Amino acid sequence: MTTVNIALPLPVLPQGWAAEKDFKPIGHLGQANDRNIEPVGHHFLAHARRKRHKRTFSEDDR
Amino acid sequence: MGTEHDPSQRVAIGISFGNSYSSIGYTTSDGKAEVIANEDGDRQIPSILSYVEGEELHGGQAKVQLVRNAKNTVAYFRDFLGQEFKSIDPTPAHQSAHPLQHESTIAFKIRDTEEEKESEVTVSDITSRHLRRLRTSASNYLGKEVNAAVITVPTNFTDAQKDALNKAAKEAGIEVLQFINEPVAAVLAYDARPDAQLADKILVVADLGGTRSDVAIIASRGGIYTILASVHDYDVTGAKLDQVLVDYFAKEFMKKHKSAGDPREDVRGMAKLKLECEAVKKALSIGTSANFSVESLVGGIDYTATINRTRYDLLGNKLFAAFSRLVLHAVEKAQLDPLDVSEIILAGGNAHTPKVASTIGAAFPETTTLLAPSTSPTAINPSELSVRGAAIQASLIQEFDLEDIEQSTHPMVTVTPHLAHAVGVLCISGEESTGIFHAIIDAETPLPVRRTAIISTPREGGDVLIKLAEGLRHIKVTKPAPKPKAEKAEDDDEDSDEDYSEEEEELREKTWKVGKVLSEAAIRGVKKGGKVEVQISVGADLGVNAIYREVGGKGGVRGIIQGPKASQNGSA
Ligand SMILES: Nc1ncnc2c1ncn2[C@@H]1O[C@H](COP(=O)(O)OP(=O)(O)OP(=O)(O)O)[C@@H](O)[C@H]1O
Ligand SMILES: [Mg+2]
Repeated sequence: MTTVNIALPLPVLPQGWAAEKDFKPIGHLGQANDRNIEPVGHHFLAHARRKRHKRTFSEDDR
Repeated sequence: MGTEHDPSQRVAIGISFGNSYSSIGYTTSDGKAEVIANEDGDRQIPSILSYVEGEELHGGQAKVQLVRNAKNTVAYFRDFLGQEFKSIDPTPAHQSAHPLQHESTIAFKIRDTEEEKESEVTVSDITSRHLRRLRTSASNYLGKEVNAAVITVPTNFTDAQKDALNKAAKEAGIEVLQFINEPVAAVLAYDARPDAQLADKILVVADLGGTRSDVAIIASRGGIYTILASVHDYDVTGAKLDQVLVDYFAKEFMKKHKSAGDPREDVRGMAKLKLECEAVKKALSIGTSANFSVESLVGGIDYTATINRTRYDLLGNKLFAAFSRLVLHAVEKAQLDPLDVSEIILAGGNAHTPKVASTIGAAFPETTTLLAPSTSPTAINPSELSVRGAAIQASLIQEFDLEDIEQSTHPMVTVTPHLAHAVGVLCISGEESTGIFHAIIDAETPLPVRRTAIISTPREGGDVLIKLAEGLRHIKVTKPAPKPKAEKAEDDDEDSDEDYSEEEEELREKTWKVGKVLSEAAIRGVKKGGKVEVQISVGADLGVNAIYREVGGKGGVRGIIQGPKASQNGSA
């Protein structure tokens, strides 16, 4: 997959911002919608392989 | 399954099987999809069989029999497969062999042997005969026996219809490796081009055929396709465009030959009109005028005339508008806006008609790419999109065991959670009211997913904030500011103001509203001009795994955001 390039700059870190290991979880994603993906094309075949063999992206990369 | 072929012995092709036309295609050893011409030189082969003294005619040769031998000519039958007689619309077959109820299925009463008697041939048998002819043409062309295929079907083809088609194909010596949806085949045909870019986009596939028009809205995410909505219409069709021309030429004919009857009321006259008008319509797709010429249209009178495209565009006006309404309706059904649509793929024979393409294009903003022969030099022949997609898919799976294919296409594998909203970062400001959201993963992306973004930093670098949030797509409508008044008489000032605002078009833009904030992270000491790389993985459980680092820098920050379920458990 191609990388998303974002030309707008990230904001400056506010004064006094602090978090353990510089990461602060705040909220959660809402619910997802279950939909049918089309079993067509080689990207789907890669998806099917990962799902059937319960592999992750990084395992698949290897 | 005892009859299953050894995958290594397969010769697989792609087949598109429409009510009006069918096509066969294969993929070359260097991965290019090619469409095969049959013995008559046709790549769009009419889905028609006709019997003359026991001889079976197929395709274009069968189609001309609609004039003299309509009773023994079977046409427009695909949608009858796997259906009960009471649930079909027999209208398309009015000028050919009529479908009848036959036990629990549908048959045609035709004289298909040398004997003087009619037999009832089921729609399954007709389909087998048609597929067998396609298989033979492909085998002759390839020089080896074709024994397997991927076949395209409309998205609303039921399991019963697929079962019936599967059986009919088997009868014809074709092992169906997979049925794939027509609009998805069209997308695959475009995405398989060597120069295709893999980008996330919302696509509209409008497949405008002879007896039906089907529109699908498809989310394409990293080469994986999800149909968000589809509509099917059996009124706004190519046959109706033919009818527009039939009516026009019939009236012109009667103006000229006042004593002759209406050719539409004569069975053969009508059949001739139809055939010729379809040819005229096709000619008007490339030429600015076309000739109509029929011998003995009615009452022994030959008739020739010409029509130019401008006239045709006017005659078909209402229908062209209906095509565009149909496409907009599908977008609405997917709860999207025309501004969300990156690309419209026009497929099916009617996509060749320039006015169909331009009318649909006019209903969308300029940011939407319209892929049709008359609007885009890089468009693929819309009549070939389905079969090309099928041929590509056939080459991808032809070496798999049938069981493997079945498992991969099972809902256990295909039903997948999709993100409800986009996930991205706030730029410029970390305040939700002033920050500008930029998506990294779009809504309707199937999970799990992993995406990477490279983001600019403030001019001087330094410490930056990475605020991850959901983004809600918003259509911002701006009413035009009233124009500065022209020099006018004082007393009709008010009226003219109102007139102005009515005339001006409002401005519609796609923007984002910041939804739920997910996390904050810091990357410190970014060098001047540096960039930050963000890698986000979202699991099927909606858990997020984020990795942030300065491009070319050391270390980095990692964070985990639990999915909603895990967090509920955690806090209980
Ligand atoms: N070059 C062309 N210009 C205009 N119309 C065309 C052209 N070629 C084919 N058509 C029309 O397209 C229609 C056939 O579309 P298509 O080949 O997609 O058929 P199909 O999928 O079998 O249709 P259906 O199943 O809806 O009957 C016919 O109405 C035909 O006249
Ligand atoms: Mg079709």
